[in-house]
Amino acid sequence: MQTDALLHLNLNRRGNVSRRNFLQSAALGIAGSSILTQFQLNAAELKKEGRSCILVWLAGAPSQMETWDPKPGTPNGGETKKISTQTPGIEIAHYWPKIASVMNEIALIRSMTGKEAAHERGTYHLHTGHRMMGIERFPHFGSVVAQEIGDPQSDIPNFVSIGQTLSSGFLGVQVAPFIIDRPGQLPANVFNNTADSRQQRRLALLSQQEKDFAEAGAASLVKEQSKLYQKAYLMMKSPRLKAFKFEDEPQAMQEAYGKSQLGQGLLVARRLVEVGVPFVEVRSGGWDMHNSVFKNMERRAPDVDQGLSQLLIDLKQRGLLDKTLVICMGEFGRTPKINARPPVPGRDHWVRNFNLLMAGAGIKGGQAIGKTDANGQEIVDTPVEVDDLFRSMCKAMQIDADMELHTPIGRPVKLVESGEVIKGLFG
Amino acid sequence: MLKRGQFHYHCSHLLILFITLICLILVPISLEAAQKKKGKKKTPALNLPPLKTQEQKMQLLGYIRQTMPTHRIGRRISFSSDDLDKALELELGQNTQRFAKQIDDETFVRRVYLDLTGNLPTPETIKTFISSRSSNKRSNLIDELLETEAYARKWSRYWTSVIFYDSEANKNRISPKALEDWLAEQFSKGAPWDYITVMLISATPKRNKKVRNDYGQKYGPNNFVLACENKSTELASQTARIFMGISIKCAECHDHPFDNWKREQFHELAAFFHPYTYKMPDKDDPKVKTVVKPRFLLGEKPHEKMKSDARRVSIAAYLAYNPKNYWFARAYVNRIWSELIGDGFYDVDSLGPDSDVIHKPVVNRIAANFRYKDFDPKWLFRLIMNSKVYQRDMQTISSQSELFTSVRPSRLRPDVVAASVKKLIGEDKKLHKEIMQVFDMNPSLPQGALEGSIQQALMMMNHTTLQSKLSQSELKKQLMKLSDQELVDALYLNVLARHATTEEVERNLSYLKESQSRAEAVDDLIWVLVNSTEFRTKR
Repeated sequence: MQTDALLHLNLNRRGNVSRRNFLQSAALGIAGSSILTQFQLNAAELKKEGRSCILVWLAGAPSQMETWDPKPGTPNGGETKKISTQTPGIEIAHYWPKIASVMNEIALIRSMTGKEAAHERGTYHLHTGHRMMGIERFPHFGSVVAQEIGDPQSDIPNFVSIGQTLSSGFLGVQVAPFIIDRPGQLPANVFNNTADSRQQRRLALLSQQEKDFAEAGAASLVKEQSKLYQKAYLMMKSPRLKAFKFEDEPQAMQEAYGKSQLGQGLLVARRLVEVGVPFVEVRSGGWDMHNSVFKNMERRAPDVDQGLSQLLIDLKQRGLLDKTLVICMGEFGRTPKINARPPVPGRDHWVRNFNLLMAGAGIKGGQAIGKTDANGQEIVDTPVEVDDLFRSMCKAMQIDADMELHTPIGRPVKLVESGEVIKGLFG
Repeated sequence: MLKRGQFHYHCSHLLILFITLICLILVPISLEAAQKKKGKKKTPALNLPPLKTQEQKMQLLGYIRQTMPTHRIGRRISFSSDDLDKALELELGQNTQRFAKQIDDETFVRRVYLDLTGNLPTPETIKTFISSRSSNKRSNLIDELLETEAYARKWSRYWTSVIFYDSEANKNRISPKALEDWLAEQFSKGAPWDYITVMLISATPKRNKKVRNDYGQKYGPNNFVLACENKSTELASQTARIFMGISIKCAECHDHPFDNWKREQFHELAAFFHPYTYKMPDKDDPKVKTVVKPRFLLGEKPHEKMKSDARRVSIAAYLAYNPKNYWFARAYVNRIWSELIGDGFYDVDSLGPDSDVIHKPVVNRIAANFRYKDFDPKWLFRLIMNSKVYQRDMQTISSQSELFTSVRPSRLRPDVVAASVKKLIGEDKKLHKEIMQVFDMNPSLPQGALEGSIQQALMMMNHTTLQSKLSQSELKKQLMKLSDQELVDALYLNVLARHATTEEVERNLSYLKESQSRAEAVDDLIWVLVNSTEFRTKR
């Protein structure tokens, strides 16, 4: 409550601060003392229930035939071989031996079909569940999760992204992604050398300065900024901050995830989920393989193979996999036919069929849903649309897919417009 | 620059060729119809002068420009800031009662400096301005600042960012810096907007294979095409977006004749930019492709035998000089208005199903007059900034009907935040770069859609270099020498570019008095102002 009085402005309906509120909070601000203990109490109440989601985003759109749907020995198959997995009958591309060994936790969707074959638009579609149209900016699914199951009083953000990603769109700053560039370190500028009592004096004075500006006509900007400062301060004091770095993590565990940027990012993701962050995105780049797709795949796959398989093992061992949805995908697929691009051919953009990997949160592992024909050109069984995928993600997260979100002008839009939960995905 | 009477032609036959081309460019529809009636006839050969170099292209476009009827009209018509205010009052009707009051000199000088130079005024500037008795001092200041290098630089930065913000072009093949420098030069010498636009659209950058990574990016105007990776589809959508304010993403628009935006129309536009035969991929099967002939958005078709260089010249002509294409002038007007007032007549670049044009008669009148004034950017700044609309107090508005009864408090762009910080601590390249990243924002999003972030808050609160440099700054040293009362006043003037109010003075004085260390207290006071919303807002 005191934090609210300290940093939040009590704005009336017209966006002005009443004189009484102003005096009250000014007085409180200077007097505020036991604030720190309150923060610690809040922070200790980590979310025990509730679900989390880790999105592993392969930016650039990975080739379906070099991942979970190889077609060796066909005209389109190229150099990629297939290997058997821990689940009899499911074979994947040879770049992924470690994923193969944990197939019992994984459901592969081999029959995704999309509508956007450009990176920006595909990224938007597969992150928001909506196609890019008009000026409406739909929120990242992570922001929806943060809003629906995150703790609004949380001392660290409910949505963390390791690497750049989309924004919270019309859901606003409260559920915007907190982006960190380098995993394994504390977020930038989260510390200072100022004694806390002094910090609080500064904040109290700031809140009065802000009130003047709000009264002068900038109420909405001040309101947003105060929210952000409150969150920033909570974060600075949060005992959960240590989830961002892993000095206390056994060396063996750090190595198990792999020393790559992605591996370390996934370790941070697990640690964040462990302390109750409901949504984490980890981004891996370089999957836009127009040129030399096979060589590039050999270079890119091992980091993801190691990190992602270890993530599943680790979550399972900690009893977190039941509540944590893991998805690994990119924005679309790649042409089954190898292109003629010199000097080394690759695969171009293709949206008619692609694939992805899901695990955890009640999803039945050890299965491959959907099928493409021998040459990988057509879906021959169970086509899955982006709406179906989002419905399934909502089910895994226990969010109502039919819920209405409200745009700034008050227009209601459905979280997911149509589709059905993917058949057989859940046990 | 394109000015009347500047072009002298040595050969009269060249002139005839020009006129032929103009006819072909500007009256294509009637020609087309006439041909159809007579049945199939062979397209007459097209004997165009060479249009390879930028000079040749500009010469032709300059000639087309001279023939624009708006030239003659422009001499007779005037549209002043008062006219603008009256037009808007008429539109706002009853809402005029809600007009915010006119700003005082102090707020004016800060606002104008931020808008025209991207820098805060110095305490001396503020004091001189306030004490000046001149009755024209506001419009004089606008005139004065429009002639500064800072003005040209600020706006060239803005447009460079508009062009490059979403570009996916390879960094080795572009030069935002070259574009920015070239634009700065244009704005500085008062180049008209149509000239700048046609230079950008009609550029045909050539690769120099002898030099590594030379795609012609060093020549500024090439960079619009390079930002679009010279892709026909990207050039089409960016041209429509940036220079006409139309989002091709929308399925339909309210504005005739763009309603029922057809997929074909987009591809016809893309075909314009394609060097050879353009093929539109099928909606369902990308393998199936149909040939699409170039056609501009209002139906204009280029001569069939026109080569691709000439086609780019013709699209620039359709864009800027077809009198029916009022989107061109309006898109520019709406952007500048949006930047200055905080809200546009429609969301910049997104004329689509959800964004109607509000107070259309007003924006259309400004746009028409902008055209009469030969697309002079400075004319538009003068028009808006000398108006009452621009000089109103800021206010958070809650409904669209209140639009333009006040000015929206706007977030400062990253370069402006960086400049404000630089003014306090001096040059620091690393910090500058960090601010640019952390405060990054899409210049084409409306203010209402922009967001702050926790990272921004953390940076301003805690950044080690920033904190220590503030603490050792010249400003701090200066402040320490002053009496408490003077200190507070100097502090507000330097950081927020205004005098402290009585309440602020009292509050800060008592803070100083209660503190054990004066030096620490001064750091605190600086910290508070640097962290205030006002520091990063145009009020």
